[in-house]
Amino acid sequence: MATAGKVIKCKAAVAWEPNKPLVMEDIEVSPPEANMVRIKIVATGVCHTDLYHLYEGMGEDDFPAVLGHEGAGIVESVGPGVTEFQPGDKVIPLIIPQCKECRFCKSPKTNQCEKGWDGGDDVNALAVSRLTCKGKKVLQFMGTSTFSEYTVVNQMAVAKIDPAAPLDKVCLLGCGITTGYGAAVNTAKVEPGSTCAAFGLGAVGLAAVMGCKAAGAKRIIAVDINPEKFEKAKVFGATDFVNPKDHSKPISQVLSEMTDGGVDFSLECVGNVGVMCSALESCVKGWGVSVIVGWTDLHDVAARPLQLIAGRTWKGSLFGGFKSKDGVPQMVKAYLDKKVKVDEFITHNMTLDQVNDAIELMKQGKCIRTVLSVSQQ
Amino acid sequence: MATAGKVIKCKAAVAWEPNKPLVMEEIEVAPPKAGEVRIKIVATGVCHTDLYHLFESMHKDGFPAVLGHEGAGIVESVGPGVTEFKTGDKVIPLFISQCRECRFCKSPKTNQCEKGWAAERYDVMSLEDSRFTCKGKKVLQFMGTSTFSEYTVVNQMAVAKIDPAAPLDKVCLLGCGVCTGYGAAVNTAKVEPGSTCAVFGLGAVGLAAVMGCKAAGAKRIIAVDINPEKYEKAKVFGATDFVNPKDHSKPISQVLSEMTDGGVDFSLECVGNVAVMRNALESCVKGWGVSVLVGWTDLYDIAARPLQLIAGRTWKGSLFGGFKSKDGVPQMVKGYLDKKVKLDEFITHNMTLAQVNDAIDLMKQGKCIRTVLSVSPQ
Repeated sequence: MATAGKVIKCKAAVAWEPNKPLVMEDIEVSPPEANMVRIKIVATGVCHTDLYHLYEGMGEDDFPAVLGHEGAGIVESVGPGVTEFQPGDKVIPLIIPQCKECRFCKSPKTNQCEKGWDGGDDVNALAVSRLTCKGKKVLQFMGTSTFSEYTVVNQMAVAKIDPAAPLDKVCLLGCGITTGYGAAVNTAKVEPGSTCAAFGLGAVGLAAVMGCKAAGAKRIIAVDINPEKFEKAKVFGATDFVNPKDHSKPISQVLSEMTDGGVDFSLECVGNVGVMCSALESCVKGWGVSVIVGWTDLHDVAARPLQLIAGRTWKGSLFGGFKSKDGVPQMVKAYLDKKVKVDEFITHNMTLDQVNDAIELMKQGKCIRTVLSVSQQ
Repeated sequence: MATAGKVIKCKAAVAWEPNKPLVMEEIEVAPPKAGEVRIKIVATGVCHTDLYHLFESMHKDGFPAVLGHEGAGIVESVGPGVTEFKTGDKVIPLFISQCRECRFCKSPKTNQCEKGWAAERYDVMSLEDSRFTCKGKKVLQFMGTSTFSEYTVVNQMAVAKIDPAAPLDKVCLLGCGVCTGYGAAVNTAKVEPGSTCAVFGLGAVGLAAVMGCKAAGAKRIIAVDINPEKYEKAKVFGATDFVNPKDHSKPISQVLSEMTDGGVDFSLECVGNVAVMRNALESCVKGWGVSVLVGWTDLYDIAARPLQLIAGRTWKGSLFGGFKSKDGVPQMVKGYLDKKVKLDEFITHNMTLAQVNDAIDLMKQGKCIRTVLSVSPQ
């Protein structure tokens, strides 16, 4: 490729400071060093965690950054020592790596490779950023930065996918869908014939509903304070719909009464600590399992010890518990085999330079997923 | 038996009101109704949950009551329809029932039978109905058991028949503390061979948890307590390391994390303190760490950063070590008789029921593990 080994100047949406619109800039993307892969991003989704960083997390040290972590693209060039990828490969950059060597990768119980961004103050634990703009280093959000025509990612955080996969669809498997679906299937381990509740019907919640259905749940209760979300939840398999605002009783009591004591599995797909507690309390005692899927690090979550002593289990997961390099290609294949829905999540299509409009839509709860076209394929 | 079908007058230690010493009284114990068993209590332990009710939760509707829930005895008579028990059987009253019919009994995942006080009256810790009266007043049966009494009446679904060879003044401890701690490790945490565990709190429940971790094959068992006098006994049960949080300025979770290259695989909170519960969770390794609440409290919330769970830790809790009660207690008795489960080593003091307040004081001061009170001759 003509650009191999050289700095690429390209367009990206840069978040210069918290709580401000992103700015389309020309950035410089350095060539991939050892074990790195430079990727031309073709399409990206906008995920609520991008907004969380911009509007809620807001650590000053975490800016400027290029956001976006739900993308798909084509390998432009590879760094020294990379044999697994070659230019032209279709890939999805991963928010969690899979080094395959650390004890976490070797354990079947977890996907949380220790080489990854651990959710701490460091926006990218995989080392130095490869992006600069106007002479400044620009951080690579979650190691991915898919709001950019080009990005550079460590090969342990890149998944090679089926060349037949349409990038403007499977980009969504880079976060939201895999996160929600996996939370149901891998983390909660929803069982056939069970009753589930999914709190929050954004993309992650809808994907959790889809996962509950795939796992054979008999009853899937979709919970949201926005009744406009129910129609799409039905598409993914929800059987019941509850709006907490329709009731004066606490939602956990409403669900408990609907289900003779509580649900078998609940998934919190909002990222709100009050909802997390309600989701736990909505589970049946004895065997109920509640999974925290939504992300927040602003407040503690709290509950009465009795909730756990009475036999409920509280868990959480990242990226749906999928080991990333293994799991994403499996989800792509499942999409191509029509076992996993992706198209139904897409409510809007725009281009990268409309990213602020896409962000506004999400802030107002008026979209599920907007796919931004970033580069030509 | 001469007393069958009649009210029995006997001695019991009555808690008339919260935060006051128990009073030895003569009480009336009604005969067992249908499905019930009247038991002569021979021996009882004193467990911290008795003190929790008396001194911490102090719910006014939970008094007057006869406390004690860790006892063993002999069946005196049975009520109509009871075929499973007969006069003379050695039994342990159970504070969780096992009706075998409800969906919780039918599920292999839980021991939390829906019959009994724990389903709804967890704040007053007793059913409303009682077979006890004293001085004309109804006296509640704490946790459905009331083992600080020469006689008690318990529903048969909450009575375990045990091996007649079992010494009642030892196996009474299987009525709560030892099963609770041991089971939390083996059944709830599901400690795995070769793993690293941490047990917070080295009372009887914590020591039993250490014993359970060892039985499950843990390679390393870190015993954590702010009272270093507790370490010697923890070693007897299999602890390999000892940490006193007061010896460190760093948070205990950080100390444990550094000792274990990132955190323990399993942690068990055996104190009943919400701050310790949080520390125990944070002491687990990310990815697969499991923390179990074993100690009881209902006074405050537990809290943690959501990140702790999102990073892959699991938070659980259990009652009575997750043992289905009627099935589990006889198994543990057998485990003791087969010398696979230690009991004698928990007993630091022996007294009589009349000395129950001394036993309570010992426990308040942390100067005992288990005092066994002799209640009636066998």
